[in-house]
Amino acid sequence: MNELMVIVEIAGRRCLLKAHDVSSVIELGNVTPVPRTPDFITGITAMRSQSLTVIDCRLAMGIDPQPFATDHRGAVIKVENHLYALKVDRIEDITTAQAEAEKVTGGFGPEWSRIAIGMVETSSGPALQIDLAKLIAGPEFIGEAA
Amino acid sequence: MDDLLADFVAETREMLEASEGEIIAWEADPADRGRLDTIFRFVHTVKGNCGFFDFPRLAGLSHAAEDALSDCRAGRRDPNKALVSAVLAVIDRIVEMIDIIEAGNELPEGSDEDLIAALEEGYVPPELAEAVSKPSHEPAAALLHPSDSAAEGSGLSAAPRSDNTPALQRSIRLPVDLLDRVMSGVSDMVLARNDLGHRLRQAGNQPTIDGPFERLTTILSDVRDAVTRMRMQRIETLFSALPRLVRDLSAELNKQVMIDLEGGDVELDREMIETVRDPLTHIIRNAVDHGIEGPAARLADGKREIGLLSISARQSGNTISIVVSDDGGGLNEERIADKAVTVGLITASERETMGRDKILQLVFEPGFSTADQVSSVSGRGVGLDVVRDNLEKVGGSISVTSTPGIGTIFTLKVPLTLSIIAGLTVEVGAQRFAIPQSYVEEIIDASAKSLDLAKLGETSLITFRGNRIPCLKLSDVLDLPVTDDAKAQQTMVILRMATGDLFALAVNKIHHHGDLVVKPLAPAVMKSGVYAGSTLLDDGSPVLLLDVTNIAAAYNLVSDARTRVLQSDNDADDAAAADACHAMLFTDYDGRRCAVRLELVQRIETAQAGSIEITPNGKRAVIDSVILPLVGIPDGETPQGKVRFLRMSDNSCELLYAVREVDDAVELSSALKPVDEDPLIEALTLVDGQTIALIDGHELFARYGESPEATVKPTCHVPDNDWARTILAPLVTAAGYDVVSGENEAGDIAIVLDDSEAASPPAVGECIRLRSQPNANENDGSIYRYDREGLVNALRRARAGGTQ
Repeated sequence: MNELMVIVEIAGRRCLLKAHDVSSVIELGNVTPVPRTPDFITGITAMRSQSLTVIDCRLAMGIDPQPFATDHRGAVIKVENHLYALKVDRIEDITTAQAEAEKVTGGFGPEWSRIAIGMVETSSGPALQIDLAKLIAGPEFIGEAA
Repeated sequence: MDDLLADFVAETREMLEASEGEIIAWEADPADRGRLDTIFRFVHTVKGNCGFFDFPRLAGLSHAAEDALSDCRAGRRDPNKALVSAVLAVIDRIVEMIDIIEAGNELPEGSDEDLIAALEEGYVPPELAEAVSKPSHEPAAALLHPSDSAAEGSGLSAAPRSDNTPALQRSIRLPVDLLDRVMSGVSDMVLARNDLGHRLRQAGNQPTIDGPFERLTTILSDVRDAVTRMRMQRIETLFSALPRLVRDLSAELNKQVMIDLEGGDVELDREMIETVRDPLTHIIRNAVDHGIEGPAARLADGKREIGLLSISARQSGNTISIVVSDDGGGLNEERIADKAVTVGLITASERETMGRDKILQLVFEPGFSTADQVSSVSGRGVGLDVVRDNLEKVGGSISVTSTPGIGTIFTLKVPLTLSIIAGLTVEVGAQRFAIPQSYVEEIIDASAKSLDLAKLGETSLITFRGNRIPCLKLSDVLDLPVTDDAKAQQTMVILRMATGDLFALAVNKIHHHGDLVVKPLAPAVMKSGVYAGSTLLDDGSPVLLLDVTNIAAAYNLVSDARTRVLQSDNDADDAAAADACHAMLFTDYDGRRCAVRLELVQRIETAQAGSIEITPNGKRAVIDSVILPLVGIPDGETPQGKVRFLRMSDNSCELLYAVREVDDAVELSSALKPVDEDPLIEALTLVDGQTIALIDGHELFARYGESPEATVKPTCHVPDNDWARTILAPLVTAAGYDVVSGENEAGDIAIVLDDSEAASPPAVGECIRLRSQPNANENDGSIYRYDREGLVNALRRARAGGTQ
């Protein structure tokens, strides 16, 4: 309740990340591609002297990236002591959650249900809260193959 | 007040950590005064500090322990096992109370009479103690430091304590976060410096800026060193708690275990030490509980009653290996396999095909525990799978090997996390990658003819020092598209694995090498198995560090045969020399183009023609005051001016080969065609389309080889007079003799003068007689004393007779 959330747009949908998890928003300038990794890993980039793994959220969910353009900015998050930069369509704003995340009957569709914590009502309407750990794990079929 | 309390807790903990190992060491040698002092100081300080706070229980406990220990210090009491146990119990209770205090809770009401009584129980009257074992410390020392003196007394006793107790360094406590911030700040500074350096180089030399810039560089590298060390901790801090752990465990299980620690000076990242602590403890528990047998069983097996648990840490490259080995019963392959089948990890048919080694690794699978009974020590439901998970989380690994009846070895490998390694930056496609310098054996331009790239099936091979070694294209390894342009300019980086295996990695370009700060990669990237970490270049762009070992393993380039490690570089060189024949090309005095195997040639010498001596018996020349046999000058020809020789050696003897001209060192790639007409020629071959005669080294040394004179100088006895000393002796010396004279000296040969009074010289070998008149007594075998040639020949003959 009353928790700050960052509104981002992934694959055309409004999503929420806990503001607490997002350490900063950076310009995704020079991204070094990493060969031999699943394609949702765009590459690595440097923030100050830290290296970040850039994750393409659309691909990490298993959604066809074609129709959606991504922003030049990325949200920096930390999961299990590793830093990641999330490549999203847009980083919109910060808002306040007005209720706990709740499930919606019928789910959010297979790609979304896997990474979603639930629906959260905010002052600017409902949005989907994302489970970061599940998001960066990538689509399941890749996780099994590796 | 709260701050004061926090300080008290922190100080107590710190002292406790420092004295943990001391207590065990003290038990092993109760007479060790230094150890006793350390422990005494601990309880004493706790007692003293309790005075500030209202902790009656803590004060009572520490007071009782202090009393007992001070009795020991004063020699009134001898420390024994019971006392040590009691003191340990007291310390444990103190820790418990400190925990409660730290948590901010009230100390519960209770009594510590039991522990205090335990301290008393073991009390042995001084007379008796004297009879059992004499205290090693001097009573005088006890008088100097009376037991009941306060802080003053313990401070005094601290000064002369033994050297093996580490001196307490002045220290402050810092949150790790702050350290991290400083660290990344310094890393940024290094990057900024590199960037600046880059720009300065572009701008050209500017002496006014270069000076300060150099200074900045030096300071920065010092700071970086210090900061890196800040996070590093000796693994000793982890090891120091282990003797206590093993002692308690073995006491609990009625086993006898000796612990042997090695490599405590290996430094590891502070956080990594924390990560390793639990897995290591777990494995040690397992080893003592399940590995090492009880004393009776051990004796029955013909082992020593006391089990040995040895723990050693080693740094190898970017990883630290911690090896825990016990000499217990070893892992039971059958039981592991049965259990694995029972819990459904493997099927019975899978089991048939599994090797022992594979079966052993099953102990790391979730839901596995071989212990029949769950004991209080291990087998609390936390299995080795958790150990493995924890290690893998930080990029480490664990493996086990075991021989039934002999013991078990667990090997934990953890990365250094943040470490600075020397690395080589290479380019492939349009992207850069880094390779740890330690693997790089050599860099070869692929255009070199000697590389001899061959494609066999899907595998490429190149020739390196005469051996064919596999060649990987980095672009293939990484699935990178390569342009035709880049294909043309390949560079081979020869990599040597820890096992001694070599392979070549083809890259497009080599950039530079330098220190790289390696940062861990996200698990998803690590999964690819190709990268070991990332690092930032001078311009701040990230670069991936290749995991050479994994790449080699993925392509099956690492042999299991550990024997290859033993193969030294020399062996490789020898083998290479035998395969690809290198030769020295020269033109001899007949104008013929010849070659001699390069290994035979020691040096090329140049000397005046005067140093050559041609006699009917052969030709010789003097080089570096050594007379060597000389070949290569045709009969009847006397060289003029300066002469060049190839000085050749077969390791035992040397000879000189006179040449008109030394051409080059070449590789004999064409076939060798043996020829018969000249025994000195081994074969004919083609070099650049010209016929070259290859000199037969065997024949050459068989015919002309002889050991250098200098090593076997015979002695010559000369008469003891002025003429012999000033005129004869130099000549004799030049002929390769050591000159001796005097009646008591014996030489290998001797020279006597016909006018000499000494009729019978003390000679062992030949005797050369010199006559003073040219024409007198020509037939008695004597030589006229100024007949130089005759004399030299006689000396040479004598030497030939004496040394052969």
